[in-house]
Amino acid sequence: MMGRLLFKEVFRELLANKINIFFITLALVFSLTALNTIYALGKSAEKQILDTLANLNFGKDALLVLAGGSRIMGLTTTRTDTLLMDDIIAIEKLGFVKMTSPFTGGSVEVSYRGKAEKVRLDGVLPIYLQANNWELFRGKFFNEEDVKNFNKVVVLGYEIARKWGGHNLVGEKIKIQDQYYRVIGILEKKGSLGHFPLDERIFVPLTTAQKRIFNQNYLRGVKIILQEDTPLSHAERTIRKLLRERHNLYGIAPDDFRIVTPEMVVARHTATSKTLSAFLLTIAFISLVISGVIIMNLMTASVEEKAGIIALRIAVGAQPWHIIKHYLISALILALVSGIIGWLLSILLMFLLSLLTPLKPLFSWGTFLLSLLFSTITCITFSLFPAIKASRIDPAILLKGL
Amino acid sequence: MNNILLQLQDLHKTFQIGKISYHILKGVNLTVEKGEFLAVMGPSGGGKSTLLNILGLLDKPSAGLYLFEGKEVSSLIMRDLAKIRNEKIGFIFQAFHLIPWATAEENVLLPLLYRGKIERDDVERAKVLLERLGLGKHVNFKPSELSGGQQQRVAIARALINNPTLLLADEPTGNLDSQSSKEVMDILEELNKEGLTIIMVTHDPEIAKRAGKVKILRDGVFVD
Ligand SMILES: Nc1ncnc2c1ncn2[C@@H]1O[C@H](COP(=O)(O)OP(=O)(O)OP(=O)(O)O)[C@@H](O)[C@H]1O
Ligand SMILES: [Mg+2]
Repeated sequence: MMGRLLFKEVFRELLANKINIFFITLALVFSLTALNTIYALGKSAEKQILDTLANLNFGKDALLVLAGGSRIMGLTTTRTDTLLMDDIIAIEKLGFVKMTSPFTGGSVEVSYRGKAEKVRLDGVLPIYLQANNWELFRGKFFNEEDVKNFNKVVVLGYEIARKWGGHNLVGEKIKIQDQYYRVIGILEKKGSLGHFPLDERIFVPLTTAQKRIFNQNYLRGVKIILQEDTPLSHAERTIRKLLRERHNLYGIAPDDFRIVTPEMVVARHTATSKTLSAFLLTIAFISLVISGVIIMNLMTASVEEKAGIIALRIAVGAQPWHIIKHYLISALILALVSGIIGWLLSILLMFLLSLLTPLKPLFSWGTFLLSLLFSTITCITFSLFPAIKASRIDPAILLKGL
Repeated sequence: MNNILLQLQDLHKTFQIGKISYHILKGVNLTVEKGEFLAVMGPSGGGKSTLLNILGLLDKPSAGLYLFEGKEVSSLIMRDLAKIRNEKIGFIFQAFHLIPWATAEENVLLPLLYRGKIERDDVERAKVLLERLGLGKHVNFKPSELSGGQQQRVAIARALINNPTLLLADEPTGNLDSQSSKEVMDILEELNKEGLTIIMVTHDPEIAKRAGKVKILRDGVFVD
């Protein structure tokens, strides 16, 4: 009964000044929507990268060894021609290694029907598909026979195939540098890893790439799939030791290879979006503080306007605490309403953004709680001053002349 | 048996505005017995409302003693004063001071909001009070939907909801026409007959006549 009456009192007082609550809610909703959207987009970008990695079979049981070590500002400071097929065979013999997929690659000039362009070409083994959890869209992939004979066959990435005229490219010939290759398959669509398009590449047998295209016997790297539940750090240490021995690196000689784990990839790809998010979050916070100040001003004005009514409450026995509680409850109501509206709007905004950008909307109760938390903190903090001010109103003003 | 409800002894009130201080009450002495109906008159600016504020514990005297039910109250802290106001003192104002967005019944129940809890009985009592004051049909009306006389009767019901021992009224008929004034005074007279102590400030000698006793406050002191 009492709670109901108190709530009714608070609520009616709030509704008595609709313009006021409109602006308070608007200010809050605005910053909360921004805050939520930014937070959720950051999460969504991160999730997308993780999904792509998982999709590439680069989950917790995988490592990448790349030729060339000690990178400073992206430049390799060691030799890059030391990773050889024999190293891969040695790695494959380690007990915890389930599968290895060596590769080489580079940018080459490819022409089809007279149109030439630079395309990224990878030389890989038939196991590549399995190692990367990839499937064929059309045709077939090359086999051991193709590898053994340096066959001039090529498999196209989905986007390349689309660009060149679709699905019936299988069986056609394309020219890589100065030789003709037969298209035997098209890979299914895979998406991209950050700004790294996976579907805009072409694939030839590893040996073909080494002998016919790049004229080099070394590798760019190898993807290593581990037996399930192998401790990553153990695998990393063992492989490093093996390669250092094989490459005759002792003492302080730097590694001439790098071992990349999925976390490193995630970290690299989210680093930029993290700085951006941090910046945008700061702006959202500032706008939250600004709406806090707006709340404080509007609340103070409203307390001054209602001084008579507050004085009356005090006169009939309200303790300072009752008055403070009264205004904190109204702040809480505004916070909840704005928090929910801000959250819903941010979901809508994310949905709209997902139509325009590759980002996927991310529904999470986390952002809902975040929204409520921030609006509550803002409302309560900035209502405290007006509430205390209200509790100090002098009830003697009631008997002053009109 | 002690029949005294309250006592003022050499009570002073000074207001400070900037460097200048205004001495408004200059040694007021007053004894009010239980069941008394006292009307306070006097020229405008004479300090009547200031006195009523102090009697109602809405303001503190600058000097002097205020004994309420035999206890010195002018030195009590805010919280204790609020409790006494809530439980023992009812207020009626010239401007009614009702909460505009609350119904008559909710306005009457307001003091109970600060007492602790409101029970079914209390709601019933509010209804009975309003009915007794001729507002049985207006329980759910907002102040803006009531006439001045009706609003003042809601305010009286609010003042009575906690069964106070003292009712303070500052020009309760000041904003009312003669018919409504008469009705309000009938009510106050009836309440006084039932034993309620009333102190009322008024400018109107006709209204003052209805009280059992009239005192004149002039230049900060009671004159005879
Ligand atoms: N808070 C205050 N600060 C300064 N001066 C005040 C304050 N309250 C009242 N006064 C002054 O005290 C004097 C007495 O005021 P009060 O309201 O008590 O008079 P009153 O007898 O009730 O007059 P009226 O009949 O017009 O209502 C006035 O001169 C007023 O200006
Ligand atoms: Mg007055």
